[in-house]
Amino acid sequence: MNLREAVMKANFFANMKISRKLVAVFLVTSVIAMGVNIFIYVNLNMALEKINQVFSSNISLNELSDNLNQIHSGLTGYLETKGTDDLELYYASTQNMDQLMNGLNNTVTDNNVKLSERDIRNMLETYLKTADEAIQAKRGRNIDEYTAKYNECSKIKDYLNTYIYSVNNEQFRTNSNNYNVLVNSLRYTEIMSMLIFAVASVMNVLLIIILTNTITRPLTRLSAKADEISQGSPENVEPLEVISDDEVGKVTRAFNEMLASIKDYIARIRTQLITQSEMKEKNLLMETHLKDAQLKYLQSQINPHFLFNTLNAGAQLAMMEGADRTVEYIRNMADFFRYNVKKSSETVKLSEEIELVDSYMYILNVRYSGEILFEKDIDEELLSVMVPSMIIQPLVENSIKYGIKDLEPGEGKVTLSVYREDKMCCIRVSDNGIGTDEEIIEKIMNHEKRPSETRGVGITNVMARLDLYYNNKEVFEMKSRKNEGTHVTIKIPLEDANV
Amino acid sequence: MKISRNRILVTVLAGIVLVLFFATVTGLFYYREMINKLGEVQEEVFTEYPRLYAYIAEDPESKLSNRLYEEISDYAINNGCYVEMTGQNLSTSYSKADRINIAISSKVDGIILEGDDSEETAELIEKAARNGIPVVTVLTDCVGSSRKSFIGLNNYSLGTEYGDELASIGEAKRKYPLSALILLDRDDGNADDIIHSAIKESVTGRNVRLSSAVVDSSTPFTSEESVMNILDDLDNIPDVIICLNDRTTESVYQCIVDKNLVGKTVILGYYDSETILRAIDRGSVYATFAVESNTIAAQCVNALNEYNDTGFVSEYFSSNYIKINRDNLSDYEPEGGSDEG
Repeated sequence: MNLREAVMKANFFANMKISRKLVAVFLVTSVIAMGVNIFIYVNLNMALEKINQVFSSNISLNELSDNLNQIHSGLTGYLETKGTDDLELYYASTQNMDQLMNGLNNTVTDNNVKLSERDIRNMLETYLKTADEAIQAKRGRNIDEYTAKYNECSKIKDYLNTYIYSVNNEQFRTNSNNYNVLVNSLRYTEIMSMLIFAVASVMNVLLIIILTNTITRPLTRLSAKADEISQGSPENVEPLEVISDDEVGKVTRAFNEMLASIKDYIARIRTQLITQSEMKEKNLLMETHLKDAQLKYLQSQINPHFLFNTLNAGAQLAMMEGADRTVEYIRNMADFFRYNVKKSSETVKLSEEIELVDSYMYILNVRYSGEILFEKDIDEELLSVMVPSMIIQPLVENSIKYGIKDLEPGEGKVTLSVYREDKMCCIRVSDNGIGTDEEIIEKIMNHEKRPSETRGVGITNVMARLDLYYNNKEVFEMKSRKNEGTHVTIKIPLEDANV
Repeated sequence: MKISRNRILVTVLAGIVLVLFFATVTGLFYYREMINKLGEVQEEVFTEYPRLYAYIAEDPESKLSNRLYEEISDYAINNGCYVEMTGQNLSTSYSKADRINIAISSKVDGIILEGDDSEETAELIEKAARNGIPVVTVLTDCVGSSRKSFIGLNNYSLGTEYGDELASIGEAKRKYPLSALILLDRDDGNADDIIHSAIKESVTGRNVRLSSAVVDSSTPFTSEESVMNILDDLDNIPDVIICLNDRTTESVYQCIVDKNLVGKTVILGYYDSETILRAIDRGSVYATFAVESNTIAAQCVNALNEYNDTGFVSEYFSSNYIKINRDNLSDYEPEGGSDEG
């Protein structure tokens, strides 16, 4: 990744903003196209200029001829009439001629045109000299001399015109050849420039493709990823590699973060769902057990409502008859059954559970005429600890049924202790009965003993409910020794007990 | 996989772009080179020379003059000067006097002139001298003018040679007396007279009967007609016809072929054109005399150079003829190469 970042940093273009990238692409291609155009334009212009120059020599020769004719007509006019205008024309044309003559070749060469130029130049000089002499002679009024000089001039003028005409022809021929060569070459240059232009255009198109590709490729990848996600199972989608540092790069980064948080969210929801369903299952199981307990209770206590109402009527009767003990007995019985009817809810205060045990013991003692000793050792602070309902009474009932039933009347003793131990609320039911076999204890602890095998609301039911309620924590403990009684302890964690 | 394919595509495209870029740059440079070459078409290569001489021929169309001009030109170029044939390549044909005038007014450094005996020519030579232009005459002199030198053929010895040839033809044909007709050039004046009298002198007492006629060669087309007329007017065809210039020789040869006179007469010719050499091979021309044109050319140029350098030059340079007949025809190679088709 570090290498990648280094490359990214080095790749200046990749890190540019998209708008700048686009501007750069168009600028680069436009500059290339413009450069090629300007180059071709300048060179073509140069070529055209050269073609234009081809006939310039003809033009200058024609000028020369025109000027010579002007000089001659000036000379003729002056010699004929001594006119000032003619003389002016003569001098002006002579001056002009001097300039034109300077453009002519002055050296001996083996080139016919150049050599003829030289001849023309020299003949012009001779002409001008002779013409000057003619004018001088005219001023001196020497008719014979200026006539002779004029004739000489006319001859030379004739030669000159022939020369100029011939050279012009010759030059026109070579110039035309040059012109043809130039025009032909120009055609080649046209083809060449078209080729160059075409190549440059193709290059530009390719450049645009490459550069736009670098811009759009990350976008395409991004959209492909988005498609992948939209087709489901985003948790299997790998995050995108960030290539550039432009807007797309930023979007890609944000996209990756979003993908990560989606994955995280999905994982959390999944665990939550699992926990919820587990909880539901547990509640359902608890309810089932409670219902089971209640059913068994109802089966054993035939029609408790009816009994409870009947008992209340009995208590009122006994009160009217002044039988206080009977009243007490019946009330306890009524409380006992009322608890079962009323406490269908799951959790109750520990004090209520203890009250139920009190009622139960009272009833039993009346039945067995006070033969069962019941002792309580209660830590008052723990009375408000919340516990699952109907957990103590079955234990007490169990102790009486299986522990002390075979003892001599008045010897059996059941003790209920509630105390605190290491942030635990301990509820212990102990008896001094015959004890329980290790085998049976093991079976009970391993939930191998079926509830149906025990009569009444069994210890197994209590255990199962405690397990469910406290998440299988080891809260139930059963200890026993032969003829030394059985001690059953429920340890309720105080943090779970909503004190 | 997709990314790597994309990367390959981009790399290939980038490669193509790089190649195209170099192609464009190379193309642009090549293009510029092409445009620059366009200008070079106009530029002509030429050599400069310090001196310019004018060559003025009697007849600018004459093969001898043209060959002589070529020789002179070649020699001049190798000796630091340039010779132009005045009046050539012009749209008008100028007279000899006009051509001399042109040469004077265009201020050449010297004139090589095929002279004549006319006063006009002498005056023009005088005018040139006044303008500081030296004139040398070639082939024909201009006697009594202020020409600086004459580079001439030895006409007397040429005449003697013609006479000797006539005698040998007479002996070969065993025809006595041998009749011979000399065709003189009207314009040639002095030179032909010398040759004529030398021939006369040479054949005296050698059983040869000489007659002469003048060929009108005033225009390029009259020569052939004139020859035809002369031959038509003759009662008897002469055994030998002597021609003193190239055009007459060729015209006579054509006439005897046309008139079916081959074998009845032979020609003693002048000049060594291909037609004449062919005629020698076929036997119509017995012998011809050719000018040593390269010697003459060198003498002309050297004379002018010498005068320009020192102010003095020898007044007369003589050169000889070469005789060509069937015996030496195979060994002979015309100077200056073939000059006609």
